[in-house]
Amino acid sequence: MTLQLLEGGAAMAEAAIAAGCRFFTGYPMSPFTGLLEEMSRRLPAAGGVCLNAESEIEGVNMTLGAAAAGARAATGSCGQGIALMQEAIAEAALNETPFVVFNLARNQQDYFQATRGGGWGDYRTITLAPKDIPEAVEHTQLLFHLADKHRAPVMLYGDPLLAQTRVGVDIQPLDFGPLPAKDWALDGTGGGTGRSRQIWTWAMGKANDPGPGPDGHWRAIAEKFDRIAALEQRHEESMVDDAETVVVAFGTAAKFVEHVVAGLRAEGHRIGWFRPVTLWPFPGAALRRATTGARNVLVFELNAGQMLDDVRIHADDRDAVRFIGGVSIAESGLSYGPLLDAPVIRERILGAT
Amino acid sequence: MERELIVTGVGGQGIQLLAKTLALAATREGRYAMLAADYGGEMRGGPSKAGVVVGDAPLQALPILPSAWSAIFAHHRFSEGVQDRLRTGAIVVANTPLVDPGGFRADLRVFAVDATGTAKAAEAPQASGFVLLGAYNALTELVQPASLAAAMEELLPPYRRQHAPANARAIEAGAAAVAGVAGVPA
Repeated sequence: MTLQLLEGGAAMAEAAIAAGCRFFTGYPMSPFTGLLEEMSRRLPAAGGVCLNAESEIEGVNMTLGAAAAGARAATGSCGQGIALMQEAIAEAALNETPFVVFNLARNQQDYFQATRGGGWGDYRTITLAPKDIPEAVEHTQLLFHLADKHRAPVMLYGDPLLAQTRVGVDIQPLDFGPLPAKDWALDGTGGGTGRSRQIWTWAMGKANDPGPGPDGHWRAIAEKFDRIAALEQRHEESMVDDAETVVVAFGTAAKFVEHVVAGLRAEGHRIGWFRPVTLWPFPGAALRRATTGARNVLVFELNAGQMLDDVRIHADDRDAVRFIGGVSIAESGLSYGPLLDAPVIRERILGAT
Repeated sequence: MERELIVTGVGGQGIQLLAKTLALAATREGRYAMLAADYGGEMRGGPSKAGVVVGDAPLQALPILPSAWSAIFAHHRFSEGVQDRLRTGAIVVANTPLVDPGGFRADLRVFAVDATGTAKAAEAPQASGFVLLGAYNALTELVQPASLAAAMEELLPPYRRQHAPANARAIEAGAAAVAGVAGVPA
């Protein structure tokens, strides 16, 4: 094992290359830029292509094109740039083109954007929210697998601490099992045969090969996302069995909550924590089990209360749910404010119990 | 065992470089390291902080350290609140005269180092940050001195290679400045 001291964004880029990503586009935007820079340095040597797009819209559509040709492809930005990409992400979800989107955001205010679709049509985006850089390295590779497994665009939701902290990591390719062949990819082999393939959101087909059309196609897509919702829920929890208080948090904030709750438990508080690892599909059944019997279900997130909706939907007793997070932005606008700090979180938890 | 260091100072003092040097030295020794930088858009004059954690197993530390085993105070400006995060017995390197070594809690082990004066005497006037790092590492023995020198050289871009000997002198002068003082092995 050889540890490399890598910035989180660079570690995710290395992990993407280890997972077989060979096409990447992006437009610089803090704190995503480090990932793009690492890709531009490393992808050509790996036989891939990295393009600095003129805009996020151009970038995501080039990624859509590369993915439609069968390449493992990805793009990224921070939340503001991801907002621009929503039309292409929706198209890809509805025409079943798999790629990975990195949202290395400035805070946690993009939970709705990540989990509610974001563009048009009936779709969702599998979204993983790693709590630290080693987990982001694993999630990056898992996301390429999930994208291909389900033929859908998927997302990693990170933040400045994930993107810009440096840690020692050892990046090795991970094997998540076999995948179906990409027999849908537009690889040019059917040209001129009358049997060329199509990727078309409306699925109308051709005169000699009619498709299901939007009604049949979009019903099938909706059913696919129902299957993904049942299949891909992931979560972590600790000390919830006898807990009077369960604190729910995601991403980096969950790592802080984990630290604070462990300290409170050591002091004798009956408290545990729950972390959705997939923001969509939200691990609702697991949250219900974890919060059964809890008098306080506290939601900590760095926004005005977005995951709060999902916790209210799924908690065993929605009247026990209370919000202890909030908007907290650094003066620069580029990172978190003072709320993301273990002593502050501890005070918020104690004040609410 | 995870060892945490908080470095606090002003942009331009070499805060980020000294923290990165320590983290890289530990990494090159095959140990786990974390480096969390915290600075504004300013290149100079603004707040500059860094957290470094070194351990022999995958780290559990938070990227914003709630408490720390040691600290380097390079400047008094922007250092409010750092002292509150230091655990009892924490090692503090205080850069005099910019930092008043008398202004610390009685339960901390404070070592005064005149980094600017020491750097000038070592004919490395631009390398006061490395003086602080040399002193800190001599007190804590967190990494091997040779690892520190090698990491410093590795981090220099090609157009700054000429500063390597002066930086090395600064690290050694920092260590010499606290020689004989009862330190605390890591």
